[in-house]
Amino acid sequence: MRQLGLGLAMAAAGLAMALQTANADEELPIGVIAAQSGSFVSAGNTIVGAANLAAQQINDAGGIKVGDKTYKVKLYIRDNRTDVNVTIAAARELVNDIGVKAIWGTETHDFSVSMAKITGPAKVLQFSGNSSLGAVLDDKAVAEDGWLHYAFQSEPQEWQRSGSTAKGVLSLLTPQLKSPPRHSVVFVGNDATGQYLSSHYVKALEAEGQKVDLVQYPPDTTDFSPLLTRIKGMKPDIVHFWYNGDSTLTAFPQALKLGVAPSYFLFGVDPGIYQERSLKADVPVTMSCVPVCWGSSPYPEVKQYFDKYFGLGAAKGPQSSVSLLYYDYFFWYAKALEKVGKIDDPDAVVAELLKSDYKGVVSPVPLVFNKHHQVTFATEVCMVEPNTSDQFKCAVEQPPAAPPPGDNGG
Amino acid sequence: MDIFVQQLVNSLSVASVTILIGIGITLIFGLAGIVNFAHGEFLMVGGMATWFMVGAGMNFFVALVFAGLLVGALGFAAERCLFRFTLNRPMNGFIMSIGLSVILQHAVIRVFNEFQKSITDPVGLVWTIGGVDVTAMRAIVVAITAVIVAITYFGISRSRYGMALRASVSDRDTAELMGIPVRRYVTGVFIYGSLLAGIGGALMISLFPITPFTGSVIIIRGFAVSLIGGLGNVGGAVVGGLVLGLVDGLSAGYGYPEWTDAYSLVVMILILVLRPQGLLGGTLGPKAS
Repeated sequence: MRQLGLGLAMAAAGLAMALQTANADEELPIGVIAAQSGSFVSAGNTIVGAANLAAQQINDAGGIKVGDKTYKVKLYIRDNRTDVNVTIAAARELVNDIGVKAIWGTETHDFSVSMAKITGPAKVLQFSGNSSLGAVLDDKAVAEDGWLHYAFQSEPQEWQRSGSTAKGVLSLLTPQLKSPPRHSVVFVGNDATGQYLSSHYVKALEAEGQKVDLVQYPPDTTDFSPLLTRIKGMKPDIVHFWYNGDSTLTAFPQALKLGVAPSYFLFGVDPGIYQERSLKADVPVTMSCVPVCWGSSPYPEVKQYFDKYFGLGAAKGPQSSVSLLYYDYFFWYAKALEKVGKIDDPDAVVAELLKSDYKGVVSPVPLVFNKHHQVTFATEVCMVEPNTSDQFKCAVEQPPAAPPPGDNGG
Repeated sequence: MDIFVQQLVNSLSVASVTILIGIGITLIFGLAGIVNFAHGEFLMVGGMATWFMVGAGMNFFVALVFAGLLVGALGFAAERCLFRFTLNRPMNGFIMSIGLSVILQHAVIRVFNEFQKSITDPVGLVWTIGGVDVTAMRAIVVAITAVIVAITYFGISRSRYGMALRASVSDRDTAELMGIPVRRYVTGVFIYGSLLAGIGGALMISLFPITPFTGSVIIIRGFAVSLIGGLGNVGGAVVGGLVLGLVDGLSAGYGYPEWTDAYSLVVMILILVLRPQGLLGGTLGPKAS
């Protein structure tokens, strides 16, 4: 009797182990590293929001069928606390201890580059939405033995975004002004990202015939009135608030009170936020989002996406749209895994991503990675009618075919 | 010329908020002997509370009073529960205050969210005087700051409480032997300084949006103002705030704009090298015993 009991217990233990093994086989570990605290939290939370939504939708649809197995996405989310050292530690843990197959993040160029030095040697795929990665993604870096072979830039190259944005802004504002605009001032935060992004945008505006002055402000500035007064003295036709949506939302109302310019462009400010804050100007104001506006999108897929995204509890902020730099790539990665037929062949997955396309939410035309692992899609620019907070006219501008003169395209 | 005068007007209103936080720090640091690095977060909490109350329909000026009282109460709790145990070890208090500042930032993110908050301009008027745009709310901020400075100055220099307080700073043991309840006075100063931070936060959100991280930026300027003027010296905080405001405004207008923060900090370093006691002189700050 005792032997029979022992046998039954062993059989039960064996069955439990077998079930556990089967369950473990069906888990696809994916890492997410993003700022959930610290000063980049408003951008970082959007990555987590997009990852949660994508994972939930993939799993609810039955998971990813790879070969004869079905995998459920298991997210391992790590808060980088807006600290590069914490980011590196999190990447090491996810890659070495947990063994994730891919990592989404981070929101910051420098951090993403640091992560790539860990993900690259471990052959872990990395999807980062930093347009500034264009400065390092070149032939050598993305080659099979290159340190960025497994890294993908999920945002268009900056000269493309800058080109389409400049064109969109000028085409919307020119009919609104008494004479065609000639003089633009680009107002941007003086940090690494601001310097990189504005260098391309200035060239893009110059290519459109603008005389451009660049005024940089110290990061974390809250009172912009002295700098705006200086800009007022330059008598610009358009002031372009570039790069940081939060800073722009602080500076723009101050500019209106000082009557700095006859027209404005607000980069990274969503029409939804403009409306929620009941902002109003007696002059024409344009705005664009990274990458697509949640407050006024021409695409029904985008509207549906944001309904679901906010439905999961994500906060509505100027940077909520950044989540769309990450969402589509979960499905594209899943599609590549299904095609390759195994999850442990990252080289084959990279090759599949480079030769495939994916029709996602962020773009009405399918996304394609170029040879430097970068995508291309259009930019949406909106204009709000003067003295209203909710009357928007939007246009979608395609990126230029080549970088403007003086822009090396990095 | 219009642009120059505009820059001077801008500088005055910037200086007002800085003066307000500088006074709070100079009192708590210079007179109570507590290095509270979370003072900036107290200001942020005052601003967030104002945003919440105004959003709920309360008049801004009523919300300003409540924000001051709320942060005063927060100061009371912090002093009684935390800082009173570090009075003889200021460095412990300093480190504790850094921890408190992070806790307050993330408590606000948890209660609200991480995005910046703003309110509609409570007055909404812009006066154009001789080609210079003067925002009415900025003028009100300057006026409220002037009233608070006057009350604080006379309270410290002329009242019985202020004299006892200064005596406590000068010689704590003798003051205690003379029957001055020094501990209670320290608590009082901490509450008053915190109350000013709450009002400063309310005034700040009437001019600029704030985020949960606003405090960590403004605290540096607050300490700079109190050191430039002289620790514990209310008049010094006013002078320090005006100096920083003018340097900020004029350097942004006529210098390299991206170096705006550096100009004012260079001025602070120069003053502290040439006059370590601050422009108007003050206490030596907290002493370990």
